[in-house]
Amino acid sequence: MSKFMSVLLDDKRMEAIKGSGLEEKIDKMFGGALNAFTLELSDDKAKEVMDAFFSARVDSRGFITDVPIAFSRTLFEEIAKAKSLGDDVIDGVLARVDEIKEAAEKESEFLPVPEL
Amino acid sequence: MLQIETPPPHGGRLIERVVRDPELGRKWAKNCAAAYDIKPTLSDGVPIRNVYREIMSICYGFFSPVEGSMKKAEVERILKERRLLNDWIFPYPLVFDITEEELKDLGVTVGDRLLLRLKGKPFAILDITEIWRIDDAEELATKTFGTPEGNPEVVQEPFNAKMPGWVIYKSLKPVVLAGKYTIINEPTFLEPFDRFWFPPRKSREEYARRGWRTVINHQTRNVPHIGHEFLMKDAGFTGDTEPCHGIQVNAIIGVKRAGDYPDEAIIEGHEAVNLGGYIKPERHIVTFTLWDMRYGNPLESMLHGIIRQNMGCTHHMFGRDHAAVGEYYEMFATQTLWSKGIPSYGFPASVNDVPYGLQIRPQNMKEFWYCPVCNEIAYSECCGHTKEKQKFSGSFVRGMVAEGIFPPKVIFRPEVYKVIVKWWKEFGFPFCNAKYVKEKEVRLEVDLPDMDI
Repeated sequence: MSKFMSVLLDDKRMEAIKGSGLEEKIDKMFGGALNAFTLELSDDKAKEVMDAFFSARVDSRGFITDVPIAFSRTLFEEIAKAKSLGDDVIDGVLARVDEIKEAAEKESEFLPVPEL
Repeated sequence: MLQIETPPPHGGRLIERVVRDPELGRKWAKNCAAAYDIKPTLSDGVPIRNVYREIMSICYGFFSPVEGSMKKAEVERILKERRLLNDWIFPYPLVFDITEEELKDLGVTVGDRLLLRLKGKPFAILDITEIWRIDDAEELATKTFGTPEGNPEVVQEPFNAKMPGWVIYKSLKPVVLAGKYTIINEPTFLEPFDRFWFPPRKSREEYARRGWRTVINHQTRNVPHIGHEFLMKDAGFTGDTEPCHGIQVNAIIGVKRAGDYPDEAIIEGHEAVNLGGYIKPERHIVTFTLWDMRYGNPLESMLHGIIRQNMGCTHHMFGRDHAAVGEYYEMFATQTLWSKGIPSYGFPASVNDVPYGLQIRPQNMKEFWYCPVCNEIAYSECCGHTKEKQKFSGSFVRGMVAEGIFPPKVIFRPEVYKVIVKWWKEFGFPFCNAKYVKEKEVRLEVDLPDMDI
């Protein structure tokens, strides 16, 4: 069964995709309170992601979660670059696994506190 | 009789084994044959348990009628029938375990009194009534939780090193000193734990003072999102001739796993729900119990029932995957235990309907989700828009927090999120990481007064 991944879109990310044609692919979640892209992953791609990141798990909705923040950030960058939500985006992310893992090591010690 | 009254403590009598007179405590400490410094149990260098939490919960009555470290016959009966030697039901072995070398160094024997030190100071005594050996800790761990073959009603997968409770029992040292504990130097809680400390005698007094005849408990080890809040609100409609007077949040505070929210954020996050007026403080109270979670789903729920009945609750809400990790147990195993029983664990009927069972009543709940059609938080057994539903996935919410995205009100109350950020500033991370887990087990939740002996 295919799995899914969600990429949350804050104001900065919404700005970055303006005019890219990706706007029509945005999912409105929780009554429009959250914007997100939902990617459907083939079995093979889902397995590759799960194998690459020990912390990754599939939640009760069938979504892959608990990946490093660096993974989510890279995933958004690849989506913006490819203007697509297909498997090619996941390929782009997996090609940058070493870079993501290096960033993930640092983020396991410290994550910047958001401004309120 | 339509109206429900506060149930008696499990076992009929609230256990309190705390010496509050420092002079008497000092005198008892002086008479000890030897002294032992309590340290956390480690697995691959990571703290997984600290027996001090069991001593606290036993001596303040959360685990009534248990009074100390268990004898061999009692542990064997629990593993076979989930009953203490006095017949009252109980899910888990609780033991004070040491190594052979430690036993030799201590030189204690049956009849001796052992002084237990915590953070280098006198804390409690153990009156040794039996010294016995655990022959095979892995076997004991497996018997504690069960197997798919032996407990086919609820166990789906063999327990292994990814199950924290199984690792706790597998890591037990081979020598057990059995006997009653008594706290002889009462610890003081660190902030913010101090204002949430309601051991059973105090919680019962508090509920009587507030005029709460019926109280429903919410088990937690999470900062509350809106799904949790609606579970509390809706389950709170349970009662007798009227909804429950009180909603008790009882957080399990203990050794943490990486990725959990810090304990400080959990209890203050729940407090923010009532300070923000989402459930008014007159109807809502936040409390905690010290315990290193075993994640035993139905067995853990039995312990939760015991703790909360001892605290004076009349009802307990149970959701799916209660106190669970992984997929070892069937997701509604806890509700099975409380509705029809689990014969392979020794319960042919609900734990309410067996001799020497529990009197606290279960309120088995399904799920809450956001429904964009109803435009509200909906209960799964009411809402017909199953295709459109949006679930409150804990890991999804954690991901959003870690990315620093301010959660919408429909997921977290802003007051609750501010608590997460407050402790994020303190620890440099929104969740427990390896550093937090290690430092917490040095800091613990308490300090102890000086006691010269």
